[in-house]
Amino acid sequence: MLEATDITKAFGGVRAVDNVSVAVREGTIHALIGPNGAGKTTFFNAISGFTFPDHGRVTFRGTDVTRTLNWRRIVMGMGRTFQTPSVFPELTVDENIRLGVRAHAKQAFQLRAPRGAAAAAVDARVDELLGFVNLAAHRGRLVAELAHGSQRLCEIAMSLSTEPVLVLLDEPMAGLAEAETDRIMAVIRDLRQRLGLTVFFVEHNMRVVLALADRITVLDRGKLLAEGSPQEIARDDAVRRAYLGSEVLERV
Amino acid sequence: MKVRRDLVLFVAIVVLFACGPLISPLVHIDLSILSEVLVTTLAVLSVNLLLGYTGLPAFGNAAYFGLGAYGAALTVTYLHVDFVTAVLAGAVAAVAGALLLGPFLLRRRGIYFGLLSIAFGQVFYFIAYRYTDVTGGEDGMNFPRPPFGPGIAQVSINQVQFYYISLVVFVVAMIAFRAVVRSPFGRTLIAIRQNEARVRYLGLDTDRFIFVALLISALMAGVSGALFGLLINFAYPLELDWHQSGNFVLMMILGGAGTIWGSLIGALIYVIGKDIISTITPLWQIFLGALFVACVLGFPRGIVGSISALRRIASDDPEDAASNEAFDVSAPIEVGRGV
Amino acid sequence: MFHDLAPQLFNGLVLGAFYAIVAIGLSLIMNLTGTINMAHGSFMTLAGYLAYSLVLRGTSFWFALIAAPLIAVIVGIAVERTLVRPLYRREPFYSLLMTFGLSLMAEEIFRLIWGPNGVPFSAPAALSGAASLGFMTFPTFRIFIVVVLVITISALAFFLTRTRFGLRLRAAVQDTEMIAALGTNTQVLYAVNFGLGIFLAGIAGVLAAGMLGLSPTSGNALLMPAFVTVIIGGMGSLFGSIVGGLLIGIAISMTTLFIPAASEVSMYVLMAIVLSVRPRGLFGEEGIFG
Repeated sequence: MLEATDITKAFGGVRAVDNVSVAVREGTIHALIGPNGAGKTTFFNAISGFTFPDHGRVTFRGTDVTRTLNWRRIVMGMGRTFQTPSVFPELTVDENIRLGVRAHAKQAFQLRAPRGAAAAAVDARVDELLGFVNLAAHRGRLVAELAHGSQRLCEIAMSLSTEPVLVLLDEPMAGLAEAETDRIMAVIRDLRQRLGLTVFFVEHNMRVVLALADRITVLDRGKLLAEGSPQEIARDDAVRRAYLGSEVLERV
Repeated sequence: MKVRRDLVLFVAIVVLFACGPLISPLVHIDLSILSEVLVTTLAVLSVNLLLGYTGLPAFGNAAYFGLGAYGAALTVTYLHVDFVTAVLAGAVAAVAGALLLGPFLLRRRGIYFGLLSIAFGQVFYFIAYRYTDVTGGEDGMNFPRPPFGPGIAQVSINQVQFYYISLVVFVVAMIAFRAVVRSPFGRTLIAIRQNEARVRYLGLDTDRFIFVALLISALMAGVSGALFGLLINFAYPLELDWHQSGNFVLMMILGGAGTIWGSLIGALIYVIGKDIISTITPLWQIFLGALFVACVLGFPRGIVGSISALRRIASDDPEDAASNEAFDVSAPIEVGRGV
Repeated sequence: MFHDLAPQLFNGLVLGAFYAIVAIGLSLIMNLTGTINMAHGSFMTLAGYLAYSLVLRGTSFWFALIAAPLIAVIVGIAVERTLVRPLYRREPFYSLLMTFGLSLMAEEIFRLIWGPNGVPFSAPAALSGAASLGFMTFPTFRIFIVVVLVITISALAFFLTRTRFGLRLRAAVQDTEMIAALGTNTQVLYAVNFGLGIFLAGIAGVLAAGMLGLSPTSGNALLMPAFVTVIIGGMGSLFGSIVGGLLIGIAISMTTLFIPAASEVSMYVLMAIVLSVRPRGLFGEEGIFG
């Protein structure tokens, strides 16, 4: 699905990501973990086109997208969320999601609101997405007024509105309470089970990663430290050292 | 319900303006000043589309305004065209200017977009200033007001007729502007203002949206400039100057960024205020400067924006309060957000 | 026409040095606080008029050259503390608008105090001759201008790269929050930085008054080329501002010689070419957003 080969990205001489390769296979939930400053988000930005890597190659569904503009990658079937929910705070939940649905329906550029079947299709899709993330009750509220977890759900729904095949989630649990974390975890499981999507996500909460992921890639100080199944990663000595004292790992 | 209230307000204001020739002697304001209000509103709307709705610090719209004025002046002077053609020529000149500058302006956002707008906007000023043979240089160009249309006998347009022409253009522009900002395209512009990165991550090429917004903006500014030139029968380099851009921005902030009525109110206060104050004291510019400072420090939401905000506080139900915003598509906001 | 080439080239370099120093001041303020200081030209004019008044009251030109910019700095810091500071948390656009308003007021105030027309402000006798460099002669005052501007820019470069305060300033441009966390008072930093920008404008203002004339709008005439300089050189690059300023100075002086009507347009052509090749300017950093 997504292959990133030998990705390197430096900021002013510091190699934030150094020669990292990751292959995300179709139909998996793949996690990218590592301590703070490991280069997870930098890597994510490089593969999603937020920035371009200094070296390396990114292919998506067999096409080289290393230098493809970010919006074009979305059209190709990528979806992405950000660490701090990236939404339109002064628009309602409904409008937020509608923007994405319209973008996908190629209506965003129109100077007249569509009517009839085209409008009905958009309405139906908005309803469907609102239902999926369970925000239908809040559809008329401004996103800025929502709780953090709900904003994140809104963002996930937006990234789904463009009907991606691969969803990139950047720390979907950052700043969330336990209950909200569980809710997002259920949604991520649904992404694969109900929608059949491939998920690649950044996370440093080990409990979440071990519970959700089929495959885990570990970064440490910009370098690839390990890759494998949750069991393999939990047993890996190098990972244990990087995460020294992590209780979750002890229990696995 | 809401649509009807908008309509009533709109019709009421148009009727009020239609009575302009009757009202103007009563309030001792010359009818040409009222024409100027209507014409200037178009230029303020053009800034509003970029700055208020899309969040781009458009500090160079005088370029398109001035191109409109010179487009009309040059075609009337050298080609002896009629009124309608002159306005169209002004609009074409302005859009051509935007087509030329757009690719450069599009490259950056935030204050850098502002910087590029200021700098590039000034290029036409220098051209008009330097090419004395054609443009009259610093002295500008005096030109007669031409007859209305090609088929119409050589009757020149009087002040009242000009006023009604401006009113018709104003009404058409207001309706068109409202349609644009309420369309899916306009909603996307508002989304770009709030979070451009997210719009790109919805698979939309934001450059394309901004470019089209720039062209629409230039079109409105160009029509405004052409009408302004025809109103005062004069085109001069200062119409192209960055000070003029600043004045448009001030009017937009004064009335309320991101609100349609705000542009009218801003233009109304500015044009009439300038007319009154500059007859009382020669220090109009100090007042103007102080108005900038006061607006920025104490009144960033503008008049319409503040009224809406007050209504929202007064009303407990946020949805109802939101719907109180007559004619507007979204809550008025503070402007200038970059990526 | 061609025998004018060398002197005109020299004029271009002098002009370019002015653009560079004004651009550096603008760039300093823009970088740290995101403020496009539209009143920058007014501070130049202010320093010019202050120097004029000082000399008129019998002080020496040399004293005025230092004192006038310093008074402008005091005014500048007062403006920054009272009017600009409340806007730092808002969108940068508001400070642009505010300083624009200030420049309008300043222009009118200059007119009230010093009259609507230009005033004569000439170089002291010691600098009013011409120096011969063998193959050609140059006005001494212009050579003096170049020397002062070079010294000023070198001193600034030394300050920014070799002193503790300068290093903090540069670090703050990278990351304001981190500097605040390390215990540097960012408000002092902002004020000093603003003052530094105004000081550069002041020096340029006094010198420009002696060379280009002094009127209520004379500072603003240098503002637009300075904006173009910032864009060409790349925002935030000291070296870029110097190179950009000199390029524009030469471009303007050369077109003035050959196609006078296109003298200002030439800098836009230059800007368009640079932006086509390097969207961030000659020495600006690369990136996708911003």
